[in-house]
Amino acid sequence: MAKQTFLILCSFLLIISTAFAQNKVTGVVTDAADGSNISFASILIKGTSIVTAANANGAYVLNNVPANAVLVFSSIGYQSLEVPVEGRALVNVSLTQVAVGLEEVMVVAYGSVKKASYSGSATQIKQESFKDVPIVSFEQALVGAVPGVQVSQMSGQPGALPEIRVRGFGSFNAGNEPLYVVDGVPATSGDWGSENIYTSSMNYLNPGDIESITVLKDAAAASLYGSRASNGVILITTKKGKAGKTVSTFKANVGVSYFAMNNYPLATDAQQEMLLRESWQNYGNDNPVKWAPYGSLNAYVDAMSEKYFPSKKSDYIYVNWEDVLFRTGVSQNYEYNISGGSDKSRVFASVAYNDEKGVNVIEYLKRITASINAESKVNNKISIGGSVQFSNQNQSGHQDGAAKDNPFYLMKVHLTSRWPYKYASDGSYWMESYNGGSQRNPVSQFNLQINDAAQMRLLLKGWAEVKINDDIKVKSIISNDFLYVHDRFGWLYGHVNFTAYGNGYMSDRYRFVNKMVSSTTANYTKSFGKHNIAALIGWEAEKEHFLYTRVGMVDFANFGATESALATTLDEAYTYTKNSNLLSAISNLNYDYASKYYISGSFRRDGSSRLSAKNRWGNFWSLSGSWRLKNEPFMKDISWLDEFRVRGSYGTSGTLPNDYNGYMAVFDYDIYGTTGAGYPVNLANSDLTWEKNLNWNVAFDARIFDKVDIVAEYYNKHTTDLLLDATVPTTTGFTSALTNIGSMLNSGIELSVNVDIIKKKDISLTFGANWATLHNEVLSLSEEGEQIVSRPHVWKAGYSFVQYYTREYYGADPATGQAMYYSNKILADGSKDRTLVSRAQASSSILEGMTAIPKGFGGFNATFSWKSLTASMAWSYKYGHYVWDNGSDDMETDGYNSYANIAASQVERWQKPGDETYLPRRVAGNTGGGYYDSSRALKKGDYLRLKNLSISYTLPKDLRNYLKLSSARVFLSGTNLLTFTGLNFDPEVQSNGYYNFSLPALRTITLGVEISL
Amino acid sequence: MKKYILNIIVVLVVIFSFYSCESFLDTKPTNVVVSETAMRTLYDAGIAANGLYVDMKWYDYYGTYMQLMGDERGDNIQPRTMSSGWTQIYTLGYDSESNTYFNMWAKCYETIMRCNTLLENIDKLTLTSSADKAIRDDYKGQAYAVRALNYFDLARLYGYPYAKDNGASLGAVIITKVSSASEAKLPRSTVAKTYEQVFADLTAALPLLSKSKNTGHFNYWAAKLLQARAYLYKGDWNNAYNAAIEVIDYSPYSLVSNADYINYWKQEGASETLLELFVTTQSTIDDDGGYVSMCHNLWHGDVSAGASLIPTVSWVDLIKSEPGDVRAQFVRYDSKYEISKAWLAKFPGNNGTNFRLNNPRLLRLAEAYLIAAEGALKGTAGIAKASTYLNAIRKRANPSVSDVTATDDLIQIERRKEFIGEGHRFFDQMRLGKSITRKDSDGYNFAVSAGCPETLTWNNYQIVLPISHTERQIYPTLQQNPGYTE
Repeated sequence: MAKQTFLILCSFLLIISTAFAQNKVTGVVTDAADGSNISFASILIKGTSIVTAANANGAYVLNNVPANAVLVFSSIGYQSLEVPVEGRALVNVSLTQVAVGLEEVMVVAYGSVKKASYSGSATQIKQESFKDVPIVSFEQALVGAVPGVQVSQMSGQPGALPEIRVRGFGSFNAGNEPLYVVDGVPATSGDWGSENIYTSSMNYLNPGDIESITVLKDAAAASLYGSRASNGVILITTKKGKAGKTVSTFKANVGVSYFAMNNYPLATDAQQEMLLRESWQNYGNDNPVKWAPYGSLNAYVDAMSEKYFPSKKSDYIYVNWEDVLFRTGVSQNYEYNISGGSDKSRVFASVAYNDEKGVNVIEYLKRITASINAESKVNNKISIGGSVQFSNQNQSGHQDGAAKDNPFYLMKVHLTSRWPYKYASDGSYWMESYNGGSQRNPVSQFNLQINDAAQMRLLLKGWAEVKINDDIKVKSIISNDFLYVHDRFGWLYGHVNFTAYGNGYMSDRYRFVNKMVSSTTANYTKSFGKHNIAALIGWEAEKEHFLYTRVGMVDFANFGATESALATTLDEAYTYTKNSNLLSAISNLNYDYASKYYISGSFRRDGSSRLSAKNRWGNFWSLSGSWRLKNEPFMKDISWLDEFRVRGSYGTSGTLPNDYNGYMAVFDYDIYGTTGAGYPVNLANSDLTWEKNLNWNVAFDARIFDKVDIVAEYYNKHTTDLLLDATVPTTTGFTSALTNIGSMLNSGIELSVNVDIIKKKDISLTFGANWATLHNEVLSLSEEGEQIVSRPHVWKAGYSFVQYYTREYYGADPATGQAMYYSNKILADGSKDRTLVSRAQASSSILEGMTAIPKGFGGFNATFSWKSLTASMAWSYKYGHYVWDNGSDDMETDGYNSYANIAASQVERWQKPGDETYLPRRVAGNTGGGYYDSSRALKKGDYLRLKNLSISYTLPKDLRNYLKLSSARVFLSGTNLLTFTGLNFDPEVQSNGYYNFSLPALRTITLGVEISL
Repeated sequence: MKKYILNIIVVLVVIFSFYSCESFLDTKPTNVVVSETAMRTLYDAGIAANGLYVDMKWYDYYGTYMQLMGDERGDNIQPRTMSSGWTQIYTLGYDSESNTYFNMWAKCYETIMRCNTLLENIDKLTLTSSADKAIRDDYKGQAYAVRALNYFDLARLYGYPYAKDNGASLGAVIITKVSSASEAKLPRSTVAKTYEQVFADLTAALPLLSKSKNTGHFNYWAAKLLQARAYLYKGDWNNAYNAAIEVIDYSPYSLVSNADYINYWKQEGASETLLELFVTTQSTIDDDGGYVSMCHNLWHGDVSAGASLIPTVSWVDLIKSEPGDVRAQFVRYDSKYEISKAWLAKFPGNNGTNFRLNNPRLLRLAEAYLIAAEGALKGTAGIAKASTYLNAIRKRANPSVSDVTATDDLIQIERRKEFIGEGHRFFDQMRLGKSITRKDSDGYNFAVSAGCPETLTWNNYQIVLPISHTERQIYPTLQQNPGYTE
């Protein structure tokens, strides 16, 4: 049968190629809207590989065109058009700009489709929407742009990985990060930092090299990625070369940045002194025996005030610490790319350099990226291509959180205005302990600590596609993704920790990840009348090899030493490897009839080395369909309705354990005296299996009045066999064990609306908005009624994954000013005792309605263009959730820590009987206060933020033509320009709601220029 | 055309070769050893025996907490300021909910699990020579003895003193085999049952253990001294006395001289040490040797910070009350930061080079003398024997003092002087039903301002540690100690 088909096909081809006469055809390609010439459109003779490109003025020449040939005209941003030659020598065409909406082609799992034929749930972001926004990591382009996707900043430090949550939380702690697939190949992603620095491995992608980003959300879209698809999939398509004239583009921008808001405002100097005195006054009143030796309470308060908040001395120089710890960050970005090709071969190549100086003097990031993407048609049957993507990044940063190396934390908490900066006599740094603790003047330490990371990434990819016949294509991809991360941490001569750990400490850590992915897929597409079939079958193998090397040394031989080579004593040195392999079979079938009914199904079988032999194979599948009602006769007449379809999907996906060998019981080794010491480190679990997701999704897409596009979706994601490093009774000898327990539900509505308010030749205005809800609920744990406390959260059936669990703070007792709590002891009838008690008597409990799950979130954007001017803005918002402000531990201590700064909010404290206040009486050394681990840390997290605003001006065409430039633009752009929130710190908190002094988001203003030759 | 067909065949072959190869999915880590292969030789068993000790030296057991539970809850050591130096231990400010409930519970069970793992697997070794069998028996004996030590510590940390209610209060959960999560959810036994387990383990250990000196591991003598201590805590005075004098009379250990006493604390394997934990590497900075660093004037190597933990004024006054006591040399006033306050220079670190590498001494011969004295005084051996053993320790420290006739107070005073920084004081007062009264050096007792009674007796609920609230959520049958929120 196959042979017959093949023979028929060959003879058919033969007939076509010889039967007709051939002529020269010329013409001009213009824009259907304004009649202007379209430069560099490509013109293909259908059924052949003969291509030419129009010149800058839209004119083209094609030789040897068969009289019955059909020409295919295409250009980026325009709908391609097929025109039969019908023997003509002059064929002028006008192309219409691509309609947004269902005609758009989008990249999806293992291929690309027209949006209309796609019944899954996916959102595509095009490069145009973020090209002017100064972003280092492309993930920021997704903020507020994709309904149902939460993107939050983990830290304002350069190089930090943004956190992405697609449709809620898929997992307890197997990881909630989506899978990244770059040009068809799963990439190594995630943060590769340590507790000392962040370094996202996805930073290797220069946002300017990205053509589009597609977020796959439901099973129909993602289950082809099987055991890794539960948290969504982010498909990244990089730029490819275009046939026609070689275009080279140069882009440069320079930006400045500083904190987007005034985080944790402090009380003024005078207020701090007053509040401190008040705390000692109260303390003295309570304990007269304490001030007795001082003669009077006043003398005692004076003495304490002088001890903890000393008056300024002429011997010392004092500063505003923010001025010496922080600066205006400066970023520079330069990109050059070149794109070109012929009908046979196309190439895109780019280099980019990015230099960021962070707001703290030790923060920087320098990155160079380069890429080449080439493809060639060897003949009619075979195409080959390949790409190289390279990046080299060096960065330096500091610890985040309540750490003594975090300048933001030090500035807000410990460095008071009375902490001397320098000695007036010789200008040297004041290095004493101000507060009896281990903090020192941090400015003097910046150059004496090494905390940096170098990251190198090289992705090599080669592919070949063989066209077996008109219907069948086979494509093989082999890729190698190489990641090298070297991070260093050290204390040099002069650092306060220098003598503590031998004389100096230097730790180097090297990690190499080598991931090889090979896939082969066969595509079959066929149309029989109104029936269209597309099928895909293939396999994929992935081999990930991880190598870890660590060297730590102490005792520098020389005071200028900065490397462990100059240290004399080995602290530790070791190396190990581990592997994770995955083997998969993939298949997918799409069928549609008459552009009305669409059905598709997919099936994937995965085998993973991360599970024991009996559980390692899993099957994942999906079914979906859509009905394009508008194409039905009964809807044809509704003139205001341009498009209407409904779609739905149902299917499964999974999540693998993070741990490569979590199912095995293993022994770990240490040293005891001079010999080895071995001990079991985990409970074995051969039943360990992947998390399974059962998803369904229903949606409709509509376009009305030829202006408004609406997409509305409802999803329901049911996760079972949740992977959890579950708390086990410590009487086992372990504190936790990797286990599959329980189930969880995520569901929600996603709505997006785009309106073309004005769409004229010279002026256009579009507006888009999206809104999503999220319902997240733990459905069951391993035992009925079980609750797992993971402070500040609790996991219990019936509550969200990020439900808060703590003591419930009431406020100050109006009579005494004491901090009061609800007892919340569970009574015999199951209700809570609502008596007001002191902290010691208060029980932690589930605080109903206090969760980090927002009631709604999303964004809106508008783009306005008028002639050469384009302005756009994007907002993001989130509301109805609570954040856990762990910083309040240190910022609002009610007098506990007399040495620390006092937040402005403390002014609202209780002062005298009768005061109805939330904040208790300030007492020195106060530990009865509600300042830590209570609902006082819970705050409403609502915010609205102008994520970016950009204005660009394109040089007029005449001027461009005169300058022989195909394009020239200047743009001005700002991020995080406006923020509306009730919080006193930056509201972009990670999705579990926990905030603890990570460097807040920055406001950036950038000026740039882009020129194409 | 042939070429393409060939290509397809190649592709198919590749597919099937992968599929036929299930071993592609069998990967093993190289930084750990799969448990089935972890104890196949006597050498491996020795490594596993070392594994019993290796984590007991961390800050959450004998690296810091255990000593501070005895000294800082007592009247020997206190934080210098109220903002650093484990103030929650000083103020008994732990509760079941916060993450500073000093979870030695989990730590002890981790080591108990290692003992159980060793005991369950070591008999699978096929050994022929009697020398090998003796080594195997010694490892088994060590596992029993280490388990006994952990149960003894669980009893005194989480259970009330034996004498308070004759061991009726809640004790440890008795786990004597490797247990899965469901098997391990047993209720707590009583203090009396926990002591029974301690004595049963020591009885099993003693005939198996070697009698040679081996200070980093339990040997016969260390197990015997632990037995003496457990009898003392139980109030079984004659057995305490008998076990202690067996160590004094027959063991290869001897008290160091007065002249060597200060240097003794620098030496590994010194003549007075029966059991110490080897702290040789600073593998994870800040954890090993933790409280010793905090006692040291050069805390974190930073002169100006001064010690975070300091000896109390009452201890300093006590040690200076009889001039000539060598132990008064531990008291130094050369802090840069607050010279009015003393710091404790008892632990200079191994070889005196790096105080952060300090072997905690768990059992030393001086304790056998003071147990013998107390056992003799309160048991049948008599006051003369008691005075002999007490005076041996008194005169070793201060040759200029004259002999005294032993009384319980004198013995407890001597224990207080001798064992500062070794974690005995609080437990000693509690086991005897005595009280602890604490005054701060500048008259400012911030334990009191933080809600802690100035005087503590075994009637205060905080004298035992709370059980973790978090653990009780998954393990509700684990009873909470009275007084703590559930």
